[in-house]
Amino acid sequence: MKTHYLFPNQFKLLGWILFILGTVLAVLMVSLNLEPEFLDLKVFALASKPNFMGAAEYFSIHQNNMLSELVGLILIAGLVIIAFSKEKTEDEFIAKLRLESLVWATYVNYIILALSIIFIYDEVFFWVMILNMFTILLFFLLRFNWILFRTKKQMAHEE
Amino acid sequence: MKNSIKVERAKKNLTQAQLAEKVNVSRQTINAIELGKFNLSTILALKMAKVFECAVEDIFELEEADWKSK
Repeated sequence: MKTHYLFPNQFKLLGWILFILGTVLAVLMVSLNLEPEFLDLKVFALASKPNFMGAAEYFSIHQNNMLSELVGLILIAGLVIIAFSKEKTEDEFIAKLRLESLVWATYVNYIILALSIIFIYDEVFFWVMILNMFTILLFFLLRFNWILFRTKKQMAHEE
Repeated sequence: MKNSIKVERAKKNLTQAQLAEKVNVSRQTINAIELGKFNLSTILALKMAKVFECAVEDIFELEEADWKSK
């Protein structure tokens, strides 16, 4: 089956490398409060608010430690590539499973977010928002691969 | 939709894996179709008919439930 919107199967490995690298960096960054000096950069900002109480600034040059931005981009790139690389045989059954899993992941993601909106407050909610940037793809990967694994296991039983 | 893929495979002495390879899908897909868990595309149905050297209707059969909206 020809699908033009998926990465080739070989990209999956690259996705995993990026995802693992991003996860390790994220854990180190949060637990050790890392802000390496070489990533202290002046960057262009469409919008920013340097002081919590101050006014927002637009189209300014902004001083920032770019580690968190880098980690975020690595994680997103990794997850998107893993999720949307073709399976070895990408056929119509897999395509249906992909679609179903994506819908399922969207539901689960927003149900959990809705519950978090109701039950989680203040700084903890800020962390929920950060995790929420990645959870939809994580839920998709879990559901998609779980069903694939279950079908394969079931077939092994039938042999 | 009922199907007789399993019977046709037996006639031609093909395993799920061999049929999968002939029609360019994965083994899971053949398995899911045989179990009635997945409704295949027209293209795949036509390919199977070619492999089994018969008409599509000889392999696939509508059921009463297919006329009811889901």
